[in-house]
Amino acid sequence: MGSARDRLEAIIAEFADLDGREKLELLVDFANGLPALSAEYQARKVAEDRRVHECQTPVFVWTEVDGGAARIVAEVAPEAPTVKGFMAILAEAVNGRPVDEAQSLPDDMLERMGLADVLGMMRSRGLRAIMARVKRGLAEKATVPA
Amino acid sequence: MPDAAPEHVLVTTAWVAEHLSDPRVRIVESDEDRALYAMGHVPGAVEIDWHVDLQDSLQRDYIDRAGFERLCAAKGISNDTTVVFYGDKNNWWACYAFWVFKLYGHQDCRIMDGGRKRWELDGRPWSTDRVTPAAGRYAAQEQDGSIRALRDEVLKHQRAGKQLLDVRSPEEYRGERMHMPEYPNEGAVRGGHIPGALNVPWPMNCNEDGTFKPVKQLEKLYIRELKMKRRSPTIAYCRIGERSSLTWFVLKYLLGFGNVRNYDGSWLEWGNCVRVPIAKGAAPGGAEGTASASPAVHA
Repeated sequence: MGSARDRLEAIIAEFADLDGREKLELLVDFANGLPALSAEYQARKVAEDRRVHECQTPVFVWTEVDGGAARIVAEVAPEAPTVKGFMAILAEAVNGRPVDEAQSLPDDMLERMGLADVLGMMRSRGLRAIMARVKRGLAEKATVPA
Repeated sequence: MPDAAPEHVLVTTAWVAEHLSDPRVRIVESDEDRALYAMGHVPGAVEIDWHVDLQDSLQRDYIDRAGFERLCAAKGISNDTTVVFYGDKNNWWACYAFWVFKLYGHQDCRIMDGGRKRWELDGRPWSTDRVTPAAGRYAAQEQDGSIRALRDEVLKHQRAGKQLLDVRSPEEYRGERMHMPEYPNEGAVRGGHIPGALNVPWPMNCNEDGTFKPVKQLEKLYIRELKMKRRSPTIAYCRIGERSSLTWFVLKYLLGFGNVRNYDGSWLEWGNCVRVPIAKGAAPGGAEGTASASPAVHA
């Protein structure tokens, strides 16, 4: 298994080859693959304020570091498959990898996947904001000694 | 008077189910989240996306008349086609697409009441088939300025003290919320509302299941409680003109307001303009007070 960057590059290449409709279908596949929250996180969702308030649909995200390895845990409402699929892609890239590697994820990933044109400017901005939030969350955790 | 009685412009999911293979009808899905259509759509429905299909990519405006004609032809829509819009989020994007179709003079536009949510609740089937309709033949008219308000018209309207409706959340209306930390600012440099505007958050038009509230309840809200007049010129706005197209639809087609326009530039334009007045706080004029309709919001 490669670095977080290598994993994401493979996903980007997979998207880049598809037509617009297929890109959205692959995004839905990723969305369907995002695991449901464990009981622990279900409880924490209630106890902690993890709601991403920028999103109009309910989105909850945790950026965790276990022994130096990154782990994104997220719950996204089923009516927002684009955000859900995007979160699953980020999780697939960084989960289990050293936390610093998350910072090397390319900010132009949506353009290179060809999703920026399919989703349009406003939705793409929203996804970039989610990526910035995840990167920042992991960076903050990385600086705290385990 | 509205173009048609509510029972004509609003159709049920049952009506749509009966017309799925009617060659005179084209079902159109418009969503906030485009991947929803890929997940499953009403059988035979085409997708029209407001970001990608309806906006001009260079000028901040809608596609031009020729672009609209090309879009309709590609989606299998001719001038005499009955176009039924539906979507996610209480049909707000569906109403937006409906409004753009009216802008170019499409005659027979309808909304499937309750949109995706109601279709799902009614246990109707979803399809992932690729829909490739036979090309339509379309000749659009020039934009209908009677349903679209541009900035200078809004300013004149505001100065004359005419009916203005702000359909955003009370926090946005009062000027407390613009955008969140770290989120890209796609808002405005000032927060608040257009002086004189009443605040009726758009979800107040809708039931929990995404359908529109009964006309009697809507009349009670807009006409009896807020004292709005059907015959007075009215302009509705929100942040980018999408939520207000839903309220525009309610006022024009369900309540029969004779002269109502959507200000699609909305707060994203107004809150950035040089030398236009804004008001902060809960009152229309900006002083302290309570002018918001009670925000029983369930978005």
